[in-house]
Amino acid sequence: MSSVKYLVAILLLGLAGCQSDLAPSGEDKRPAVQTGIIGNQVGQIAPDFTLESTLNTFHTLSSEYGTHDAVVLYFTMWCPVCDSHMSHLRATYVPKYPNVQFFIVDYVNATVANARTAQISNGYGNMTVLADVNQSVLNLYDGTMGTTVVVDRFGAVQMNQDYSDGSKLGKVLESLP
Amino acid sequence: MIAALVMGATVIFSQTAYAASCCGGGSASSLVLPKFSKAMVDVSFDVERYDGFWNGQGKYTEDPPDSKLSQYRLNMGYAHRLASRWQASVTLPYVWNDNRYSGIDSQTDGIGDATVNLWYEAFDAIKCVWKVKSVADLAPATYLGTSLTLPSGVSPYDDVQNSFDITGRGFYRLDANLLLDKTIYPWNATVALSYGKYLERPVNREYGKYVEPYDKRLGDRQLATISGGYTQFLEDMDTITYTLAYAHLEEDKGKINGVTDTTTGMMKRSLSATFAYATMDRDWVLKLTINHTFKRDGYGENFPATDIITLGGSHVLR
Repeated sequence: MSSVKYLVAILLLGLAGCQSDLAPSGEDKRPAVQTGIIGNQVGQIAPDFTLESTLNTFHTLSSEYGTHDAVVLYFTMWCPVCDSHMSHLRATYVPKYPNVQFFIVDYVNATVANARTAQISNGYGNMTVLADVNQSVLNLYDGTMGTTVVVDRFGAVQMNQDYSDGSKLGKVLESLP
Repeated sequence: MIAALVMGATVIFSQTAYAASCCGGGSASSLVLPKFSKAMVDVSFDVERYDGFWNGQGKYTEDPPDSKLSQYRLNMGYAHRLASRWQASVTLPYVWNDNRYSGIDSQTDGIGDATVNLWYEAFDAIKCVWKVKSVADLAPATYLGTSLTLPSGVSPYDDVQNSFDITGRGFYRLDANLLLDKTIYPWNATVALSYGKYLERPVNREYGKYVEPYDKRLGDRQLATISGGYTQFLEDMDTITYTLAYAHLEEDKGKINGVTDTTTGMMKRSLSATFAYATMDRDWVLKLTINHTFKRDGYGENFPATDIITLGGSHVLR
């Protein structure tokens, strides 16, 4: 039995030093954010950018939120989770908020043509897809797969987190200034 | 990409080439210690290639152009007999993610989710027979078990930079398992059923960013596997067992703060072939498993389509 004890001890020691998931926390640890300055956190002024769409049109963030109630960015890498999110987004929020500009941001393809191919094969030909070919906007917003950013008509970041079940996006859009 | 984001899922869902069965050798799909043996060490290596995915409606979709997505896993397992009818085992994978798109390359690695298993053998004598002489000879070896999956891998709720770093799901899961194993030489068959419940957990961070805390629970998981095999006896009484298996895996939709998350849930069907070489005394077993999914509509939902090659070996300590 001593070998078993050693094995269990090694396993527990190894795992204990690993991840916080073994003892997950529900404590609110969101840091205080300095609002009113340029940054990607909620309450900050959204960093501006210009990206080319898969239809070869150029979109500048400040121009978009200046002419819409808000801009929604969804960062995709064309995966099953991304598809679930985008499908939910398209079915639930796009028709409900006609004056909100929804952009899908492809950050995994190196060319606009590849991004267009992925867009079509995934069945999102009817949405506007921006090709973030060098991940500049992904890095600007500290995003990853599923990150959803909402910028209101004043240029303020209202949301910057995972899409999850979409309920947070719904609340943010419902309470736009 | 897909490799990274469903890492945890695939680590848990993949079928490792475990040895053995009640009589040793064989084709059991769980880490099961043969009867009358003290312990077993099992090591295997998975190479998983991602090739598109099924969306929520079951439509097969190809990956982006010029992408190559892979995951490699080294699975280490140890089983130990606790009593004549009881055995326990632990498995721990180490995961390498290798994701290449036309615009991004990412290689990460880390420990995956560990699993601790406890099995009760509802039989005393070996159930492998050469000839059926009575109804009793038809009785299978029945195993009742439970498994606890530990969130030891790197999940989206850890301090990670992005989805490429993921090697686990981040949730505890408790499974109830039933394994029926019958061998009438040279044929064998197994049925394995598993029902798992994830434990709810608080979440206050996603991909490294702290968020408004909420409670999350993944959906219940069901796995059914049936397999049939044939054992060929070599001149020196070593054996080669050829096994075909079909697996159906489903996971229900999860919940966030008690409300159903409609973006979750999955289904996957797969077919696998295993070639197992066992020494005469069944103390050493080498296995090669090829797991294949059909890249067509309807063979999965909300999950990546992959092919897995597993090479493994186990050593039984008497």
